[in-house]
Amino acid sequence: MGLEGRLAWRNVWRNSRRTALTVAATVFAVFLVVVFVAMAAGVHGKMIEDSVRMHSGHLEVSGKGYLENRTLDQYVRLRPQLVTALDAQHELVGWAPRIDGFALASKGNATQGVMVLGLDRQREVTVSSLMSRVEKGEFLPAGVKRGIVLGGRLARNLGARLGDQVLLYSVAYSQEMAYELFTVTGLLKLPEPELDRRLSVISLRDAQDFFVYGNRVSEIALLAASADGLPALRERILRALPRDPEAPVEVHLWNEVMPELEQFIFLDDAGMYIMLVILVVVVAFGILNTLLMSVLERTRELGVLLALGLRPAAIFRVVYLESLLLAVVGLGIGLALALPTVLYMQGHPIPLAGDMAQATSWLGIEPVMTFKLKPLNPLGSVVTILGVAVVAALYPALKASRARPVDALRSL
Amino acid sequence: MSRFAAGWILLLLCAPAPALAGDLLPAPPGLSARAIASRVEDIFRGKTSYVEATMIVRSPRLSQPRRVRLRMWDDRPHRRSFIRILAPPKDKGMGFLKLHPNLWNYIPRVERTVRIPPSMMLQSWMGSDFSNDDLVRDSSQLDDYDHTLLGLDPGLSGAEGAPSIVLEYRPHEDAPVVWGRIVTWVDARHFAPLRQDFYDEDGVRLRTMRFSEIHEVQDRPYPHRWSIKPLDKQGHETIIEISKVRFDQHFDDSIFTKRHLIRGDR
Repeated sequence: MGLEGRLAWRNVWRNSRRTALTVAATVFAVFLVVVFVAMAAGVHGKMIEDSVRMHSGHLEVSGKGYLENRTLDQYVRLRPQLVTALDAQHELVGWAPRIDGFALASKGNATQGVMVLGLDRQREVTVSSLMSRVEKGEFLPAGVKRGIVLGGRLARNLGARLGDQVLLYSVAYSQEMAYELFTVTGLLKLPEPELDRRLSVISLRDAQDFFVYGNRVSEIALLAASADGLPALRERILRALPRDPEAPVEVHLWNEVMPELEQFIFLDDAGMYIMLVILVVVVAFGILNTLLMSVLERTRELGVLLALGLRPAAIFRVVYLESLLLAVVGLGIGLALALPTVLYMQGHPIPLAGDMAQATSWLGIEPVMTFKLKPLNPLGSVVTILGVAVVAALYPALKASRARPVDALRSL
Repeated sequence: MSRFAAGWILLLLCAPAPALAGDLLPAPPGLSARAIASRVEDIFRGKTSYVEATMIVRSPRLSQPRRVRLRMWDDRPHRRSFIRILAPPKDKGMGFLKLHPNLWNYIPRVERTVRIPPSMMLQSWMGSDFSNDDLVRDSSQLDDYDHTLLGLDPGLSGAEGAPSIVLEYRPHEDAPVVWGRIVTWVDARHFAPLRQDFYDEDGVRLRTMRFSEIHEVQDRPYPHRWSIKPLDKQGHETIIEISKVRFDQHFDDSIFTKRHLIRGDR
């Protein structure tokens, strides 16, 4: 082994420029793989967290059929037993009941169809980031009777300012006309243009009065400590919730409530992995090329070694060691560059501007590029590059070990 | 269940409806589909009509049906109408003014007038199974459709037990209508409408209207009780009971003004 190791090491540096180039290519590939995977993990994780905090929560309790059909007919009755059961769930960071309705908002001659979100301030704070999006005024302060918070664009379209009265107009659950004047207490700045143009928020109590909805709510958003292990958590919560024969409930994961987000992440990941695979294949050919060149150069030398009695298996191992040396050196340097970079970026997200910012805003995500290093990322890079080295060395090593001493000695 | 699946199931459920045509008797010769349709349209809405009615809304959500009393002035030639709500007390004094193509709603309790935008047209009108669009739309079942005679239906008989005449209305290509097909049952004696089934463009039956309590008003056999059932919403029904109706009266222009909408009838 000592001999083989020494042989391999010397052979690697026999043409140091070629080796350096191959190692550089490997370093480059490792660096890109680690950084890109970390970036995807970061961006997608942020997407999920932002969306979960803006919308569904990690889990969503709702009336049967609410995913398919979001009307006032799908509801959860917020009974005391349910409140107790939810409060007893220590795995939850928070939970918040909400009413989702539709209404016409009118001020002066301006009218606009709006989403009416009724929510419980105290509870919502534990679940969502919505309240932090208030740009002007306050989020439904306790002192104001029938306050309303409007999306910034919506307020502009209606010509509504703080303190103005806005009429909400709809059909109540009781099938009578619902109309009420609300006082604008705050304006939101929402990243999603659609929400900014459509969303209005009132208190849960006011929404229940407005829609004549009793103790019903449309959904209850649950926030867990992390997005991992949610399916199991869902089962535990389903078991813990009291039965309501009049209005049976369902519990959905965020990716069931927002399938488009999961699909987007899947597509985005797929695109990235295809690119990385191409990169890795290029590196594989680099290693293959280097080894094959070096084996062909030394045909005569290998013939001598074989003639001196070195076994083909030993030759095979020497070439393999060369390949692994190339890969390990490349990996080492690559990781040494990539890991600090990623760790630094983790603490310093890159703010996006221009079209990129616009694009993420459409998706409802804060326009920053975040990084997240998961243990699987460097581990996966190591396994991939070593695997590439093993596969790329196969042909040169076989060729070297199968040389016939007589022919090899004759060649130049 | 997805909307798609729901649509198919609805389609299957509704399949017997066209099949009913198989049980129809051939119509006697000499009947003109268009002439009958014209008569029906005449009965429904003269040039102008003034109506006092009670609207009764039933739904699985309600333990008691909701009752709304109203008056309506409908001026077809000028494409305008006016509705005043008399009861329940909460909505008393509320008014609706239609001046084609706009619809305004005045709400006395908050002293506001709302113009219903196009995006709200398909929303329920006052919680009933009528939409705002039903109120505003002034397409004509006579001029916007082609009419064919399907036959006689012994299953639905009108005055003196005679089988009703069944007509099919299909909209003209560019007609501003929401329906793909209307099937109308008409009393064979005096051509009063008995029932209308409304289908969408995919042939799915969406709504059934039934007309009963047919009494003579100004020489027209006029149904005083209308029932509308949306077929995609189980247990929902809206009934209109008409207590008074007058046709072809002269309406003062001042009725159809925002001033009247806000200031009231006096």
